Amino acid sequence: MKIRFGRIFRLALPLLCLPLICWGQDLASFEKRITVKKLANGLTVIVCERPVAPVFSFFTHVDAGSAQEEVGQTGLAHMFEHMAFKGTEAVGTTDYAAEKVALEKVEKAFADYEAARRKTIGRDEKEVAEKEMALKAAIAEADKYVVKNAFGEIVEREGGVGMNAFTAQDQTGYFFSMPSNRVELWAYLESDRFIHPVFRDFYKERDVVFEERRMRTDSNPVGRLIEQFLAVAFSAHPYGRPAVGWPSDLKAYSATDAAKFFKRYYIPSNLVVAVVGDVKASEVMPIMEKYFGRIPKAPDPEPLRVSEPKQIAEKEVVLHDPSQPFYIEGYHRPDARDKDDVVYDVIGDLMTSGRTSRLYRSLVRDKKIAANSAGFSGFPGNKYPNLFVFFAVPTPGKTTAEVRDAIRAEIERLKTEDVSDAELAMVKTRAKANLIRQLNNNQGLALQLGTTQALYGDWRELFRQVDRIEKVTKADIRRVANATFVANNRTVARIETRESEPARQEKKS
Amino acid sequence: MTSKSTATAAAAAFFGMLVTVFPAAPAGAQASDWKQISKPPLHSFPIPKPRRVALPNGMVIFLLEDRELPLIEAFAVVRAGSRNEPADKVGLAQLFGQSWRTGGTKAKTGDELDDFLEARAAKVETTSDIDSAEIRLSCLKGDFDAVLGVFDDLLRQPAFREDKLAIAKNQLNTGIARRNDNPQGIAEREASKLGFGADSPYGRVPEYATVSSVTQADLAAWHGRYVHPNRLLMAVVGDFDSAAMEAKLRKRFGGWAKGPAADDPPAKQLDKPKPGVYFVAKDDVNQSNIRMVGPGIRRDNPDYFAVEVLNEVFGGGFSARLFSNVRSKKGLAYAVGGGIRSSFDHPGLLRLTLGTKSETTAAGIDALLEEVKNIVDQPPTAEELQKAKEAILNSFIFRFDSKAKILREQTTYEFYGYPADFLDKYRREIEKVTAADVARVAKKYIHKEDLAILVVGKAADFDRPLSSFGTVTPIDITIPQPGSEKKPASSAASPASSPASKDVGKALLAKAIEGLGGAANVAKVKDYRMKGKTTVKTPQGEMALAVTLIAVPPDRLRQEVQAPFGTMTTVVSPAGAYMAGPMGTQDLPGSAREEVSREMKRSAVFLAQHASDPKLTASAAGAEKVGAIDTNVLDLSYEGAETRWYVDPASGHIVRSSYMTAGQAGPGKKVTDYSDFRTVSGVTFAFQHDISVNGEKSQSMTVEDVQLNSAPDASLFEKPKEEKK
Repeated sequence: MKIRFGRIFRLALPLLCLPLICWGQDLASFEKRITVKKLANGLTVIVCERPVAPVFSFFTHVDAGSAQEEVGQTGLAHMFEHMAFKGTEAVGTTDYAAEKVALEKVEKAFADYEAARRKTIGRDEKEVAEKEMALKAAIAEADKYVVKNAFGEIVEREGGVGMNAFTAQDQTGYFFSMPSNRVELWAYLESDRFIHPVFRDFYKERDVVFEERRMRTDSNPVGRLIEQFLAVAFSAHPYGRPAVGWPSDLKAYSATDAAKFFKRYYIPSNLVVAVVGDVKASEVMPIMEKYFGRIPKAPDPEPLRVSEPKQIAEKEVVLHDPSQPFYIEGYHRPDARDKDDVVYDVIGDLMTSGRTSRLYRSLVRDKKIAANSAGFSGFPGNKYPNLFVFFAVPTPGKTTAEVRDAIRAEIERLKTEDVSDAELAMVKTRAKANLIRQLNNNQGLALQLGTTQALYGDWRELFRQVDRIEKVTKADIRRVANATFVANNRTVARIETRESEPARQEKKS
Repeated sequence: MTSKSTATAAAAAFFGMLVTVFPAAPAGAQASDWKQISKPPLHSFPIPKPRRVALPNGMVIFLLEDRELPLIEAFAVVRAGSRNEPADKVGLAQLFGQSWRTGGTKAKTGDELDDFLEARAAKVETTSDIDSAEIRLSCLKGDFDAVLGVFDDLLRQPAFREDKLAIAKNQLNTGIARRNDNPQGIAEREASKLGFGADSPYGRVPEYATVSSVTQADLAAWHGRYVHPNRLLMAVVGDFDSAAMEAKLRKRFGGWAKGPAADDPPAKQLDKPKPGVYFVAKDDVNQSNIRMVGPGIRRDNPDYFAVEVLNEVFGGGFSARLFSNVRSKKGLAYAVGGGIRSSFDHPGLLRLTLGTKSETTAAGIDALLEEVKNIVDQPPTAEELQKAKEAILNSFIFRFDSKAKILREQTTYEFYGYPADFLDKYRREIEKVTAADVARVAKKYIHKEDLAILVVGKAADFDRPLSSFGTVTPIDITIPQPGSEKKPASSAASPASSPASKDVGKALLAKAIEGLGGAANVAKVKDYRMKGKTTVKTPQGEMALAVTLIAVPPDRLRQEVQAPFGTMTTVVSPAGAYMAGPMGTQDLPGSAREEVSREMKRSAVFLAQHASDPKLTASAAGAEKVGAIDTNVLDLSYEGAETRWYVDPASGHIVRSSYMTAGQAGPGKKVTDYSDFRTVSGVTFAFQHDISVNGEKSQSMTVEDVQLNSAPDASLFEKPKEEKK
């Protein structure tokens, strides 16, 4: 079924850190079709002409994600992403002036309630209950001015499809597609939601986000495991915190907190907007200037201070669960701008891609201990130093120990034997073909162009990566494997099946 | 007013970070100006039409050029899928779908093909579905001839090698082992089973036993039966010249001999879901997965277009009722939606989805049912209709915004025998849909009482027990282990039986019939009437009620119970099932009616009369002491009604019976002890019945009088007249 919005990429799909290829002819042809401009306020616009059908897609890349959150306020980036669908001062309200007042009252009531609720000494249950009632009343009052889902409704009525967004550790992305005669309407709506957002329905939407958490994490065995895995793999860096947020943080933050996050990070120098389809740069650029140029310039936020310290001890997470076994191990690696980034991509492709991959042939075909196994990096993001992970899904009756040993055997091969010429050639050919296969899709292109521009400062990296992959040698692979896949750089997480037992009584708060 | 402006200033100051940080909106788009923003007309877009080529051997090929990238993609879709599987080999189509490719060809193993294709970054892959199997290729245009060779070889000369079949079985078995790990997976699967029937081709799922029974010979036979040029369509899109491609494919496939014509059209009508409340216990979650299913429609139903608009209003996008009310207004869900689904050649399901925390499970069901009620009672307004039609029509361009999509649409219509211009028709018909149309189809297709409601979750945390919505039928999702004789839970499941126990079972049944007075006497029973007193345990204490029961096996029954507040009459007959009392007459709900029907099929006389009926299975199930008697245990099953008899080996009397019943308070194990055996016209009846449910005494009945063959009047089985007040 359609998930409306708020998708969080927990498992960074290989798509996002795909070996991005340069194929001479394609780069040249794309050079002609792509126009990039940095507006006066620092916002970057990319327009790619692809007049196949009278439609266009866009992708707004915000260079801020859950990694930007402070401790105690996890989930805020994602929460704002939900808020971005609630409309603006113009769209989604019957009377903004009155609503503004009512929303301010809600904030005050929430602050009062939180103060009472979070008291550790001298907490008065009666007071907490009263403040909660007052908060509910204030919310009901503000709710009177709300026109539900007005923003999404406009987009849909105007023929928009695929409207969605996601929040990841590195970035937040917004996207949909429209018939090409709605470019100006789209530009108005998309820019306005980042100039005049209104945090209406915040506390109701929090309930929705809680349900999202329950669906993706709490009630999903692998979801539970991955959350613990990341929390343990990263001791200091925010990559260890879940993008959806810890439950206690979700309960505690306010619309004011979300507004502060928005104000600090949704600034033009952090925004790349890519438009792909039946659009002409000469016509679209002025429209982009007119609408996105309105976003006021603001100082760059302070970059992240913390770095994950070098891991010196092997770590392990064991989830005893009624579900079937599952195995994952991760190793720290440098970020996407490191010179060895392509080598990791090659290793990932070699280990994972198709039935000729190392892990398939060993675990699925020969040993018959797994239904599926893969290795890839950019987990949970790639802007900062991240993890190269291997996982396996054991077949019935097979154990995590067996798949672990098989994975380690394959890693050992990488370190001690050169890969064959045929295999290396296969990886390089595949990288070229994969890029070509992505180029005939507006939405996919918009996403790739926007993300690449933001990460590297130049969309051409999408093509240049192929040249870099071409240059990867067998020695590179061995060198990187030996440096990375070592025991004291490793975090293991596994699900071990147990019979159901009565659940621990959790304090309901 | 001063105070207001002060308040506004204060608000602005407090809320400063939100409002005052940004300058006033510059000249340009203002509040409602978005409506004034220009939308030039969409420039005309000629939709390319694929070239259709029909070969003399029945093969149909669609070709569509796309010169944008140096790629070619093609697929062939075969008319055979999981709905064609024999019931004891569910999973065969999926195994075929995998092994078709991985098993290689007569000339090359799957591994050799893997190496060959990967070296060219080309793909040939196979899949299978409910009604089709597909083989696909994707390659750079320079490699097309070589890759087409592989494609053709797999299409016509697959080998289904054993080692790859084994791997495919591993994959399926892994899926079976993990199918209960995620609550969403459970909900989707069990909802389909409820909607289509657990044993229906559209509801059934593979089990270890059915997977293991599939052999290489089965796959080869499947291929031999279904993969013929007159049973498949092929389509090619990419960087090629149509005329040259046509010539190439004619040359290659023209000589492929036609196969037998299709002889297995799918059923156009399906059984309707059995309404009721169903529950799957899953305790390691904090969120309930709720599904509601009811009958859907086929896409060739003239109501289809009005239904599409209704779906958009009800469960479509941001402004749809389900999203707007259940998620945005009530905050009950992240995932909520649904609509009346239509399939091309068989009815789809009306399907509603909701995920809500355990503590709001009942509130969530209430909210969904409220929307179900409101869409009929308060049909879409003119504004809702307008929004829905605009959304569908303004986004129509996205149906054909790529060549690959256009090709897919054309092949789909060809596959299902729909007119090639169905998309044009769709657009025209959507434009014509009125508010009255939508109201009419809502009323016609959305009925709360037809819905099967399924909840997967942790009952202990629910805000209200599920029984508040009706009798709850628990669903056992235990995965039958390989080698066990327990068949997967289904209404047609029969008790575990081996040939040996069947023989003993037959003998035991014969003994019980002897105890009933012998086959000849039992056969003479056309109807019987029992009068007696039953003492019922109620919260108010024990009540003694007079009971009269008239039964005409197999399907007519009338029971009158004289209670202090009046007489309760229950009537079941093929024409209908009713319950009448001082409060009036009402139809018996489907689930109750079924339960009564099952009770009738459990009566000793009925089962004895059907001893030779192939639908009756009888298996011996060991021995057990009942009171002082070492009884022989006999398991019987007839048309979904299962009963266990405890037979006294000396007299043949059935001294106890037990079965699962869906009672008012929920499902339970009903055990009846029989005593005081007397013979009436050669047939033996127990004149004392002591009943307990789930181990607790519930009723005891003393029979005072039994009469056989009194030929009760037909009017006794008609709908009881309303009592005059």
